[in-house]
Amino acid sequence: MNRAAAPLIELAQVTRTYGQGSADEVRALRGIDLRIEPGEFLSVAGPSGCGKTTLLNLLGLLDSPTSGEVRWNGEPVGHRTDRVRARMRLEGVGFIFQRFYLLPTLTARENVELPMRALRVPHGDRTRRAGRLLEEVGLTGREKAFPHQLSGGEEQRVAVARALANEPGLLLADEPTGELDSGNTQAILALLEKVRRDHAASLVVVTHNPDVARRAHRHITMRDGAVLEDRREG
Amino acid sequence: MRRWGRGGALRHSRLQFVLAVAAIATAVALPVVLVSVGGGVSAHELANLENAGYQIVVSASGIHGITYAHNWTKNILAIPGVTAASPVLSVTIDAFTPKGAVTPVLAEGIIPDQFGPSLGPAEQGLFPSPLPLGDPTDLVHFANGTYDGPATYDLLVSSPYADEYHVGVGEKLVLSPTTNRSLGTTYTVTGSFGVPPSVLGPTGAFAVLLPLSDLQTLTGFAVRAAVATDAADTIQISVAGSVSTSPAALDHVRARVQALFPYYGVSSLTQEAQQLEAATGVLTGFYLALSSVGISIGLLFLALVLLRRVEAGRRSIGIRRALGVPSKSIAGEILGGGAAIAGLGAAVGVAAGYLIVEALAAWATSAVQEAARLAVFEPVLLAELVVGIVSLSLLAGAVATRSALRIEITEALR
Repeated sequence: MNRAAAPLIELAQVTRTYGQGSADEVRALRGIDLRIEPGEFLSVAGPSGCGKTTLLNLLGLLDSPTSGEVRWNGEPVGHRTDRVRARMRLEGVGFIFQRFYLLPTLTARENVELPMRALRVPHGDRTRRAGRLLEEVGLTGREKAFPHQLSGGEEQRVAVARALANEPGLLLADEPTGELDSGNTQAILALLEKVRRDHAASLVVVTHNPDVARRAHRHITMRDGAVLEDRREG
Repeated sequence: MRRWGRGGALRHSRLQFVLAVAAIATAVALPVVLVSVGGGVSAHELANLENAGYQIVVSASGIHGITYAHNWTKNILAIPGVTAASPVLSVTIDAFTPKGAVTPVLAEGIIPDQFGPSLGPAEQGLFPSPLPLGDPTDLVHFANGTYDGPATYDLLVSSPYADEYHVGVGEKLVLSPTTNRSLGTTYTVTGSFGVPPSVLGPTGAFAVLLPLSDLQTLTGFAVRAAVATDAADTIQISVAGSVSTSPAALDHVRARVQALFPYYGVSSLTQEAQQLEAATGVLTGFYLALSSVGISIGLLFLALVLLRRVEAGRRSIGIRRALGVPSKSIAGEILGGGAAIAGLGAAVGVAAGYLIVEALAAWATSAVQEAARLAVFEPVLLAELVVGIVSLSLLAGAVATRSALRIEITEALR
């Protein structure tokens, strides 16, 4: 395979079945083929239960496919060990969750530093970088605030800063504005676009929100575990 | 701790933390008390042995089991290197004061000029020197086993007895083997002696000291026609300095003494010290084994607390794993948290054990108080105990760690 021409991430005939062989078997994904190029901005839409989050979990190596292959830069990674996949997530993926998932007992800065600590970035470097990222997301002066002292919009900004901490090539956002009001939604969307551009990362956003989807360059619509439509802007 | 709680959950977590520390501390305090007091008492007795004025002791089974004590003493004294051989007969008898007060006392029959050299440095200060007892060799009254010679009827009394009953030098005491005063013999108090503190043995606070042959005739352990006696309980043998400092020479003398009477026990204090040390080791092991029950319960409690914390922190663990934090880092935090609780609990337990011993030394009843005052806190042993607890806590933490690392990330994030 020509590695230079390989996409950032590729799914080939990927299926994911929960409770396989049992009476409660659920086929969450059915033979998905998907290629994501560096710098792409994708939105993934579809009704609840269509497999959007499962797709995101597979892209982010949080889960393994039941069959098919997940490749990063041309390398099969879907069935690598937990340790290897954890390392790849740490170095290559930034996650932004609908419910923010900040660690409640860490300050905003400590939350942002968390992935860097795991990568053993020296204390001074990670403090400076965390400060710069919080500044970038507009939270200067809020570094020492705990999550319960932040608004929803501020929490999501911290989550964005945390996702960027290790300069990942892929940002995965699952309903990033699902718990925000319209003002904060616009602010977060603008922020995501900016960081994607500034950090040259691919961005995959699972969303129901048409405002979010409208900003993406590529739109994937899913239904019943399959890609119904894969449309590029322009 | 900080990473795993918030608000009510944090308070709950703190309560669990405090309870886990308390459980470990309670489990550790017990062996600290047992080992420190037991070790202290043993060390004290060991020091007594090492400071005794005699180095070899002859003992016999049964009550007053050494017969022909005067003759054996003479024979032992003939062995080269022996400087003193002191037979001792101990009998509890009744003492009647001139004012009519009666109380049991521990009467010790001795040969005065042999008893003095068998005293250790600490004991020598308790007795007048020379002992103010007539017939220093006890051979005048003994008269080659006839007991026909004149008795001196001299008697030394212990200072606690003298103080309690206001008995002074020159006063008369009647000693009787029964509560019947008319069967007794009248003695003249010629001096007094102090009583050393003793933890393992009887204190003998009320005691009298008199020539061996006097006590033998008074109590019926003198030679009689039908019974071969001239009884003593032990013969304490002192040796020359050059012998006492040479284990080989000391053992040679011990063997010579043993050869005189193969049917009596003859042991050097070195052997007794070794036996005491071995017994102390066994006791320490027993204390630790006994304490291991409490420690096991404490560690089980710790394992439960850690498991509860993992369960309460499922989401946080899931987030961290989702972000790519390595499993070993998460495991390290759980194991470190468990070790911190165990270490803190062990440290608190050591401190609590120390305070308990101090409290016993200050306020307990006499024997316990005396034992507590002798307690020795061995830093190395205590450190080993703490390290052992911390090491075992890793086992408790391993259960929680396994549980944490089996959390499905996608489940935890739902």
